[in-house]
Amino acid sequence: MTDTPTTTSTPKIDNIRSQIAPTWCPGCYDFIMYLGIENALKALDIPKEKVVIVYDIGCIGNMADFFKTYAVHALHGRSIPTAVGIKLANPELTVIVVGGDGGIYGEGMGHFIAWARSSVDISVFVSNNNLYSLTTGQTSPTTPKGSKTKSTPLGTSNEPIDPVPLAKTVNPSIDAVSVDGHNPIEVIAAFKSAILNKGFSLVDCRQNCVTFGKQLDS
Amino acid sequence: MPSNVFTIKIAGPAGAGIKSSGLLLSNILVRHGFNIRDYVEYPSLVKGGHNTYQVSFSKDTIYTARYQVDLFLSLQPKHWQQHQSEFTDKTIIISEDAVTAVTLKDLSTPLGSRIYENTICLAIACYLFSFDLELCKKIVSNNFGAESPNNQAFQVGFDYAKEHFASQIISTETQVATDNGQTIHDGNESFGWGFIKAGGNFYSAYPMSPSSGTLHFLAAKQKEFGIQVIHPEDEIAAASLAAGASFAGARSAIGTSGGGFALMVESISLCGAADLGVVFYLVSRPGPATGLPTWTGQGDLLFTVNAGHGEFNKIVLAPGDQQETFVLGGVALNLAAKFNIPVIVLSDKFIAESSASLPDLANQKIDQVLSTKPIPGMPGKEYMANSYEHDEEGFAIEDAEPVKVSVEKRLARFEEIKKAIPAPLFYGSKTAKKLIVSWGSTKSSILEALSLMANKDDFAFIQLTSMWPLNPGLQSLITPFKDITVIENNAHAQMLSLIKSQFDFNPQKVLLKYDGRPFFPEELVKLLNE
Repeated sequence: MTDTPTTTSTPKIDNIRSQIAPTWCPGCYDFIMYLGIENALKALDIPKEKVVIVYDIGCIGNMADFFKTYAVHALHGRSIPTAVGIKLANPELTVIVVGGDGGIYGEGMGHFIAWARSSVDISVFVSNNNLYSLTTGQTSPTTPKGSKTKSTPLGTSNEPIDPVPLAKTVNPSIDAVSVDGHNPIEVIAAFKSAILNKGFSLVDCRQNCVTFGKQLDS
Repeated sequence: MPSNVFTIKIAGPAGAGIKSSGLLLSNILVRHGFNIRDYVEYPSLVKGGHNTYQVSFSKDTIYTARYQVDLFLSLQPKHWQQHQSEFTDKTIIISEDAVTAVTLKDLSTPLGSRIYENTICLAIACYLFSFDLELCKKIVSNNFGAESPNNQAFQVGFDYAKEHFASQIISTETQVATDNGQTIHDGNESFGWGFIKAGGNFYSAYPMSPSSGTLHFLAAKQKEFGIQVIHPEDEIAAASLAAGASFAGARSAIGTSGGGFALMVESISLCGAADLGVVFYLVSRPGPATGLPTWTGQGDLLFTVNAGHGEFNKIVLAPGDQQETFVLGGVALNLAAKFNIPVIVLSDKFIAESSASLPDLANQKIDQVLSTKPIPGMPGKEYMANSYEHDEEGFAIEDAEPVKVSVEKRLARFEEIKKAIPAPLFYGSKTAKKLIVSWGSTKSSILEALSLMANKDDFAFIQLTSMWPLNPGLQSLITPFKDITVIENNAHAQMLSLIKSQFDFNPQKVLLKYDGRPFFPEELVKLLNE
């Protein structure tokens, strides 16, 4: 763990890790998001029982087993509306969505756009590696045009989306940032800022898939 | 046919105020102390076409609107002509082009608009049934406001009828009834009241006929009762919102029809896997696909019972009328909280958009069963609701033995659920010669038909209320009967298949209707006597 931001208050979250060790590939940048969430929550002094994390399906969604907080490991693509339901039912909760580019920008694109237009106070953290990785490397909505993947061996034919400008198109005042997902300091700072923001926040963490990402260079 | 039941039908194009004047008429009937049951037909468009509203009323118990009409009000010419099969030789038809001719345009012109013609017709009906003029005027005034030209329109219609139709008075018996304090509720509103009274506090729905009435009803009441009412981007979101709200401790429900329900099926499976109690209020219309948006049918039974991939616990309840929709709406919320599973309330357009006079549901109580599950905010009880197969704390599992344990836990729970579901309703004598078995909205048609039959004591009737699981006691109820008739408002006899899949069940006669219309009582009398 590097460069944990200092805080003057007593962190109420001393341990949100579960007994299960992360199963991501060695070197996977999802570890940075894992530590980022842990550090941000500790630094912000939020009572553990008031944190709810809603995980999408995908490599990053497997984080569900590596923390122990109130949580929902939701259906693929449906993490945002599930989180919105939680937040609307109890506005005192700190509600975080953790998903990938497949779940949030692919299967869940309609929900992403619909709730980016809202003022519902949830923070959406996206592991955006331009690929479906848990399913072993198929094209995602952020895959560069022409990329050869397992599902598009002839090259992808669609333009990739750019999530932050897209979100700002539907909600110009939205708190949406894209950060270098390989940089823990950037990731932690962005997560903290998103959780503090009173409204819908997006942190798009750009990263490479250490196992299937190479095909994007070919 | 007993003469203590009267039926009035109003017809005209969409936008002419058929339903609003129909409901006003029903309100007048109820304030005169009548029991009412109504039925509306309308195509899926906003202006034009052919809409009808019919209401049957009686001082005695009445279960559903009759087919045969005593008074027909045609707001525009020709709108009565396609209804000849509903007329008897005593039926009075009020229309510009009928025997009892009235040129509505001449009456409405001094009032400044043709939109008052429905109120003029209403007044004619009130005159022909000898209703209390002052009471009628008060109800009309309360409905439209004291300044509304509708008040004048009512007087114009009443005076015109008095002058021209005095010889055609249908009944003077109707003067003597007294208000017994009943209120008109349609099925959608009844579900809404059941939801409110059972402590429902989160309702999400994407508009879809014929379920939208509940969305509108609860949206209008959200502040008064502290309910979150959300209209999200689609039905998938509606179901996901309700599942999330349930996790956070809300008593949540969604409302939809068949096509929207199809989109929610994955979420139903999620609720079954992740132990999330959510009520799914499904108001059927005929499918497949967009089907017949504003008509009725019972074609979603097996789909509902089987909704969701994988094997998990769910309950499907089917109310038979508006009062049962209120009660089972509450039962559904309680069962969802008790067992933390999806509970489907399967209604249809015939119940949901038809009204009944009932003791005011706003004043009725439903006991609440609360969930004992921890909810976010409780320190030290953190757990995960997981769409993956999982252990007690919610962590994902894949090893054979724990997976088997988890599956068997759900199976054991199913046995408890079977004991908690409502029992079938039994009408008539256990020694009757014949048995009718049915479910849902056909209940009211069957009971009304039986009330018309001289040989009604020949029949017993079982109405299923829990469609899944089926009540284990059903077999012993059925077995004594050798002559069994199944009645369903679908083409595939879905309840018959369902019962056969669980019990020894061999009906001799199957009466099905699948044209978007409910069974009418008179029609069932004939079919049952064939």
